[in-house]
Amino acid sequence: MKDAVYVLGGEQTDFQRNWTKEGKTFMSLFREAVQDGLEKVGLTPDEIKKLNKQNRIGVFVGNFDAEQYAVQGHLGAFLTEVDPCFFGVPGARYEAACASGSVALDAAQTKLRSKDYDVAIVVGMEIMKTVSSSVGGDFLGTAAYYEKEAKGVQFPFPKLFGKLADVLLERYKLDEKRYMGALAEISRINYANAKRNPKAQTRSWFMNNEHANARGGEFNMAVGGRLAITDCSQVTDGAALVVLANKNYAEEFAKKKGTKLSAYPKIKGWGHRVAPITFEAKVAESKGDKWVLPWTRQTVKDAFDRSGLNTKDIDVFETHDCFTSSEYAAISAFGITQPGKEHEAIEDGVIDFHGKKPINPSGGLIGAGHPVGASGVRMMLDIYKQVTGTAGDYQVEGAKNGLMLNIGGSATTNYVFVVGK
Amino acid sequence: MREIKTVTVLGANGTMGAGSAAIVAAFGKAKVYMLARDVNKAKEGIEKAISSIKTDTIRPRLIPGSYDQDLEKAVSESDWVFELVAESYEVKEPINKRIAKARKPGTIVSTVSSGLSIARLADAFDEDGKKHYYGTHFFNPPYKMILCELVTHAGNDKKVTKKLGEYLDKTLGRAVVYTNDTPAFAGNRIGFQLINEAAIKAEEYSDKGGIALIDAIMSGYTGRAMAPLDTADFVGLDVHKAIVDNLYEMTKDAAHSTFKLPDYFQKLIDKGDLGRKSGQGLYKMTKTPDGKKEKLYYDIKGDLYVPVPKFDIPFIKEANRRIGEADYIGAMNIVKEAKGLEADIARYFIARYVSYSLSIVGEVVETKEMSDLAMGTGFNWAPASAFVDFLGGPKEAISLITKAKLPVPDVLAKAKAGKPFYQLKDVLDARSLFKG
Repeated sequence: MKDAVYVLGGEQTDFQRNWTKEGKTFMSLFREAVQDGLEKVGLTPDEIKKLNKQNRIGVFVGNFDAEQYAVQGHLGAFLTEVDPCFFGVPGARYEAACASGSVALDAAQTKLRSKDYDVAIVVGMEIMKTVSSSVGGDFLGTAAYYEKEAKGVQFPFPKLFGKLADVLLERYKLDEKRYMGALAEISRINYANAKRNPKAQTRSWFMNNEHANARGGEFNMAVGGRLAITDCSQVTDGAALVVLANKNYAEEFAKKKGTKLSAYPKIKGWGHRVAPITFEAKVAESKGDKWVLPWTRQTVKDAFDRSGLNTKDIDVFETHDCFTSSEYAAISAFGITQPGKEHEAIEDGVIDFHGKKPINPSGGLIGAGHPVGASGVRMMLDIYKQVTGTAGDYQVEGAKNGLMLNIGGSATTNYVFVVGK
Repeated sequence: MREIKTVTVLGANGTMGAGSAAIVAAFGKAKVYMLARDVNKAKEGIEKAISSIKTDTIRPRLIPGSYDQDLEKAVSESDWVFELVAESYEVKEPINKRIAKARKPGTIVSTVSSGLSIARLADAFDEDGKKHYYGTHFFNPPYKMILCELVTHAGNDKKVTKKLGEYLDKTLGRAVVYTNDTPAFAGNRIGFQLINEAAIKAEEYSDKGGIALIDAIMSGYTGRAMAPLDTADFVGLDVHKAIVDNLYEMTKDAAHSTFKLPDYFQKLIDKGDLGRKSGQGLYKMTKTPDGKKEKLYYDIKGDLYVPVPKFDIPFIKEANRRIGEADYIGAMNIVKEAKGLEADIARYFIARYVSYSLSIVGEVVETKEMSDLAMGTGFNWAPASAFVDFLGGPKEAISLITKAKLPVPDVLAKAKAGKPFYQLKDVLDARSLFKG
């Protein structure tokens, strides 16, 4: 792609925190994420003031549902509460359910490519522990077609992704035990990876393959058809920030830091597709297609086409494992296996931390946590860390190119970014 | 060190024994002999273990047994013998003699003692046994509180210590704090210093709200989820007494006098009012005539329980508000500048906590990070070094400590200005421990 967009860095909050229990609000979450992120990148208030004076900087906030969880909208304006240096900076909030972070990233990269701005601060955030899990589950139902798929349904999303598990099983005529074992292994891998990530929600939680396979009963309750609690990502409070820049500014920034432009990775490709919103329509549309989620596959292909890269060039993946069934489907969407053969990659250790195509070294949504509006930005941050060799204990050795897949709804809004040096 | 495949847990029916066995069976995938006075007690421990970590999958690895029938066989098969019997030499030493006879060379033996001398307990063993004998002090409840103080003594082998530390950290997921064989080790030495001094101050200000007042002053904005006297009530006044009596007898540091158990604690203990476990202690829950829950506190002078009042202390409200807005430095500025008795008490205890936490560096732990990690993961108290940063840096912290007429620890006196004093940001976000 022409007009490269660079990732200058960022930070995330500790996804283990419960901000309501701490007596803190969405605003505190926002403030800490922004202050920590800018400090980590090294973008000072004075620099922001200067860039703003020249109308070179914008703010892009990804958030799904602050209206319901925190009784607050208009989040694009909230950086002004963090620091007066943001007075006057153009900012807005972007929403696409669990892909809200990605739609904010996309809006930011578009403005940078067009050179409307030279610097973009992208923040993804969600505070979810303000309500009980059943009330929160109902809120999340608005990411589906609420009236048809969620109204009056307890925990609608586990049920929708439970149906995805059913369709995958039936469509590819898989052996049920082997398939469910593969889903359990996805859970085990994500939890195991999360233990290396000091910001992961489940880093001190217990999980192994045996427990993930023990579905049903009081310790691993079934929540959506075949799926049990261990197949699900958890309710999470969290925020992440990344700073993007076009070449105009990235060169300036590199000089200021005494480094080279090549020290910063670029967004090499991206894809964005929207599938029919109801799960039923998705299944009907994909009949006869090799992929059960053809629009997800198409999004990956679009990103590959734009980047000129392919599966073989990608060293590390961050995927949207809101449920084990969504990660399972992503494996073939990435082109790691043919559709219907995903379990082979899981069983052979291909997607494991030390495998050939590691997925979610951060722990993903299941291990690291899923504050819905923050997940896309968190994935971008993790890919940035991987390709700059700064992921610490969860660094995939020698990672040069990474790919992230972030989905909203029941794989409705699909976003892919390819990032590398 | 041998690979740990089989473990014997002694005292497996208690909360700590069952919870620790669950950690070893789940994270360590070890076969665990769970021994208690009788096999039925051990079976109760198995159920506790399963419910503590919420997985049935460990059940096949948990084997019940009794000391009388099974100790020698279990120990002889084990790679690690984890002893959690009652906290006294009289109980632990005879058991250690039996373990010493039955253990194979190379077997790790450790105790969860929170205050006894590890070197003295190691005396029951031969040279190989001494080399492999440790304190592995887990905290309650083990699944949630991930601290493990790994206590060494002069007879240990550094290579074994390193391997055991790695096992506790990487396999069992513990936050490992290496401590010397000193009374109460790191967490309890710091924690119970503060708790006991709070208890002493509560008596001094008995006519102003006593226990309830001190806990209100030491609430969430001071970096703790549970106020200190509430914590004493939670752990039990008898346990508190055992720890501070030991510290009073065995230490002679600058805080020595603050380890003296207040008389009213002894009075409550003598009556059997040990805290939450016996229904009442420093606090008592009751119901009002209209059926609402009400918390009462023990009025020390009046020797009766009275309702906890809603204190209206403006600087605390303002500090809470600032914490609620993630303005930690702003909150500490409020505390630094506030006027009145309550503010004097708050400043004194913050100064004391920072001063004492950092004073044990060198004697108990090697680095201030070990002291910080112990308090953050064992007590859920904001680490002292984080306070230093929120107070405005070492110079400001030293000023607060000096005004409180407390000793300035070396590690703080030698600190360089201009860089963060708290170094565990990527391990433990200290901000999460301040409650608004």
